[in-house]
Amino acid sequence: MVSRLKKFYMNDKIIVPVIAVVVSLFIAAIVMLLIGKNPFIAYGALIYGAFGTEGALINNIMKATPLILTGLAVGFGFRAGLFNIGANGQLIIGALLATYVGAHMSTFPFYLSIPLTLAVGMVGGALWAAIAGWLKVARGAHEVITTIMLNYVAVFIANFVVNGPFQAPGGVPKSPEIAYSARFPDLLTTGATWLSAGIFVALAAVAVVYVIIEKTKTGYEVKAVGLNPYAAEYGGISISKNTILAMAISGALAGLAGTMQVMGVYYRYLGSLGGGMGFDGITIALIGQNDPIGIAFAAFLISSIRTGSNQMQIAGVSKNIVIIIQGIIIFLVAANRLVKSLMFWKKGAEEA
Amino acid sequence: MKKYIVAFLGLVLVLGTMGAAISVFFVTDTGGLGDKSFNDSAWAGVEMAAKKYNVTANVIQSYEQADYIPNLTAAAQVSDVVVAVGFMMQDALAKVAPQFPNTKFIFIDGVVKSPNVENFLFTEQEGAFLVGYLAAGMTKTGKVGFVGGIPIPPVLRYQYGYESGVETYNVLNGTNVQVLSGYVGSFDDPASGKSMTNSQFSEGSDIVFAAAGLSGLGTIEAAKDAGKGHFAIGVDQDQDYLAPGYVLTSAMKRVNIAVFDGIKSVVEGTFKGGTITLSLKDNGVGMSPMTYTKQLVPKTLLHQIDVLKKAIIDGSLVVPNTKEKFQAFQVPQIQF
Repeated sequence: MVSRLKKFYMNDKIIVPVIAVVVSLFIAAIVMLLIGKNPFIAYGALIYGAFGTEGALINNIMKATPLILTGLAVGFGFRAGLFNIGANGQLIIGALLATYVGAHMSTFPFYLSIPLTLAVGMVGGALWAAIAGWLKVARGAHEVITTIMLNYVAVFIANFVVNGPFQAPGGVPKSPEIAYSARFPDLLTTGATWLSAGIFVALAAVAVVYVIIEKTKTGYEVKAVGLNPYAAEYGGISISKNTILAMAISGALAGLAGTMQVMGVYYRYLGSLGGGMGFDGITIALIGQNDPIGIAFAAFLISSIRTGSNQMQIAGVSKNIVIIIQGIIIFLVAANRLVKSLMFWKKGAEEA
Repeated sequence: MKKYIVAFLGLVLVLGTMGAAISVFFVTDTGGLGDKSFNDSAWAGVEMAAKKYNVTANVIQSYEQADYIPNLTAAAQVSDVVVAVGFMMQDALAKVAPQFPNTKFIFIDGVVKSPNVENFLFTEQEGAFLVGYLAAGMTKTGKVGFVGGIPIPPVLRYQYGYESGVETYNVLNGTNVQVLSGYVGSFDDPASGKSMTNSQFSEGSDIVFAAAGLSGLGTIEAAKDAGKGHFAIGVDQDQDYLAPGYVLTSAMKRVNIAVFDGIKSVVEGTFKGGTITLSLKDNGVGMSPMTYTKQLVPKTLLHQIDVLKKAIIDGSLVVPNTKEKFQAFQVPQIQF
């Protein structure tokens, strides 16, 4: 019994999200039956739309790329005890700076301009997030409030910049394009969709964040401050330094997400480039249980559901079903105690 | 594997039911269905065509801008006619349309030059001019507001048409009504639309015109919350019914007619690539009939608006549609 319990808790990270997904698909299927749709056809279309064709797979991966990064951004914040709701703002500032630098890279060779543009995007996000970190340390302002407010500031800065000083001709809220040397190479093209190399950057970020959290002194300190700041300080770990650092790393990841959209998708800053990806990051971090590898899987889950939902709409099922699925997953993961007690109840029934 | 088979069967089922009918897919912009404005109007046009002709109507809603290319591609793969709406889709459509030379595209609010794309544009400024004139004549505070979605050409045409309507009222009636203008930054954020409208109310305006798609619903809500003496002006569709008595009028743009005409041209075999502009003259834009508010408006003001309407239609009054033209705009002497 004890060993079984131990095993169960060790797999907790995996089992809770998996059950959440299965249960939510089941509940959504009931909803579909109630509105008179065939859930088998709907899910068939969903899977076909997410994986069935080369174009679908490319779209799926392209959608997952920024989601992995915003998921990592929020997840890293959580590990440090920080609730970074400002990934959207950090993403926008990162993307904006990356676009600006990328647009001036035409005379540079690609091996300089790509890393430089990436670095600028990360630094932009990091600095934007560090403002919130500094405000927390110096003034005690809670990061939830400051990052939300910084989101608005970022959105309005971006709207101003691409409608005025940095607008491409044509009266559209978008910046000029970045130089060819600053774009990610296309790995594969079908029709009007292409696969950019950005996914490798996102996967590399997963590895780097894993190493930082699990294997470095910085990661240990950041986690320690997150778990119990006063105990950490008693142990000689600076709260201020690690709070600002954790925010900056989180922001750098969000900035990188925006930079991916600039260097691999739009090749410019577009009016509402941010969309809701920063907030999707919260969902993804929750589903991924703040674990870098879990987050990568969670991002692929969300991107698959979303990509597949387009095909599902062709089969006549509203896109809102997908929002229901996502909502139930979040609910169940957040209420993981509920899932755990369900598990015990089931186990008990088996043994009886 | 089993699921692939199910998926395949599902697709066959969908394709099978289409039969000989012309299949039409409507790809919404991020505002989506239920915006009571732009997208709903286009969908009404598709459904109108489906009722009248042997046409099947389907819709794909776009969650974010990055969905435009995949959704247009998916729609083009399975249909004869794709209806794409919204200037923001222009870049995506320009990439997708040439890939499917056998699919016909109907595009609203932008121009894609491809032989298989029929573009529809509107002279939004003409309808906006009339509602601007009305707003200036109705304001009690001497200030009226404008809330835009994103400053793209169709919205800018609304803005400058509206502002020149207000200016025309000022010149012809010796008043000094001012316009407060702001942009929400998106077409799908009613909460921001509401807060911007509220701040325009608190700065002293009492009538706010929203050209912001779904975001504009926030403006209507704000007018309703603010209570008596405050009005919203709706956009694209007749939105007067959304809050009877609080929506002064709506600057209408008959996207439904354009979509219907486009599908009709396919059915009748007269479809050809190019650009068609619908104006006040063709009844493509205009003012709502003011079902709930007409009794509030003085007779003389309604008469003046009728005169202006005729002047626009006969070409003696040209409403500016860009910032430059607005700045150079000279109000013509009009005898009522």
